[in-house]
Amino acid sequence: MIIRVIGNIAIYPCGDYLMNGKENPDASKERRGAKETVKDFFYGMAMQGMARYALKTRMYLEQLFMLITLGDMLGIPILPPYYSLKLLPYAVPNIKTWKRGLFKERDFTDALF
Amino acid sequence: MSSFYEDNPDLKIAVFAGKGGLGKTTCSAALAMWLSKKKQRVLCFSTDPQASLSDIFEKDVFGKGSVTLDKNLYVMEIDADKRIAAFQEEVRQKIRDMYGIDELPKEIDEYINAAGAEPAMHESATYDAMAGLLASDEYNFHVFDMPPFGHGIRIVSMARILDVWVEKMEETRKKAQEYGESAWKMQQRTSGAGQDEMLAELLEIRKKLSFFQDILTDNKRTAFYMVITPEKMSILDTERALKMFEQMDITLTGVIINQVYPKELLQRKDLGDFLRKRIEMQQKYMNEIKDKLGKHVCAVIPMFDREPKGLEMIQQVADIMMNWDGKITEE
Repeated sequence: MIIRVIGNIAIYPCGDYLMNGKENPDASKERRGAKETVKDFFYGMAMQGMARYALKTRMYLEQLFMLITLGDMLGIPILPPYYSLKLLPYAVPNIKTWKRGLFKERDFTDALF
Repeated sequence: MSSFYEDNPDLKIAVFAGKGGLGKTTCSAALAMWLSKKKQRVLCFSTDPQASLSDIFEKDVFGKGSVTLDKNLYVMEIDADKRIAAFQEEVRQKIRDMYGIDELPKEIDEYINAAGAEPAMHESATYDAMAGLLASDEYNFHVFDMPPFGHGIRIVSMARILDVWVEKMEETRKKAQEYGESAWKMQQRTSGAGQDEMLAELLEIRKKLSFFQDILTDNKRTAFYMVITPEKMSILDTERALKMFEQMDITLTGVIINQVYPKELLQRKDLGDFLRKRIEMQQKYMNEIKDKLGKHVCAVIPMFDREPKGLEMIQQVADIMMNWDGKITEE
């Protein structure tokens, strides 16, 4: 994230507009660039971790949900298969990732990142 | 029994449960026939895997959908295997349509096949068919002939268990979505998920189940009958069922005693020992039923000299069953 903020400053040098002292077609873009930069900076500092955490929690809940509905696939029968089949079509694109996620080997670094 | 139906005009369902071979199907058929003369559009639905409505009505109705037998009398005997096969194909087709593919991924196809072989599949398919029938509101009255005891009751309790499950799943799903939404909001992105079709499907399943369960546990709309014969096993079984009914908030409407040998036979001098002993045994158990289940008994049906088959015989059973004189034993 920090790299992204620095990158933004490099692309839109804020001083340019101030030095020229007049409106140019690129000015609004630059101003937005500056605003974006500040926003990104604070996002990186304050929000990014939270968003990441929320997405991760969502992933776990999603995995849990898949396990309840399609546990049968891995030999864990939870929901009667009739209803599993009803939900199956919607889950098709996620099945591969879900299985990989569930079978993934875990170590302590998972907790850090 | 007839007055019960006059007093409760809101009744929509009658369920017959009990051990196998005691005459659930006969009683179901008789009630359906009697009702079809009073109400409009009565459906007699057999959920028994060894369904025998075809046999009783002497007409092949197995797996043929709703068959009209008489004015206002419809019969349905579902072929669970066929239904499951159709359902599997439906799921396959849905996947093909949704993702525009001609062939299903191997593991998914295998899973669909394997799921179809599960024993619970039969029950669920039958159950779903019943719920569907009720929801469609096509018939004014439904008589459900349940499979032999354990099964029949399970079908009722399944609604409750499933309902709890679906509720939990819905919760997980919703929570997952919430987390996703807030993450996207923080990232200044518009919602990435869009409509959650899976949740919609789940809610649909749940709606169907709770609707069914509500009706089944409402004694204003559903009548529950147990069919019993004057034999020890049958009495024990019914007592057990009564306890289970209680646990499930189901009120037992009545007990029908079936296959009772006419007591008058005892007066006959030429009666053989064999039959005499049987009748005496039955009378002993009739007294036991009177003591234990007396207040529930709502009809006594005699043993006939031939199998109660065909419309005429069923009509006869119906007349006896609906107009019982209220006496379990003579004294």
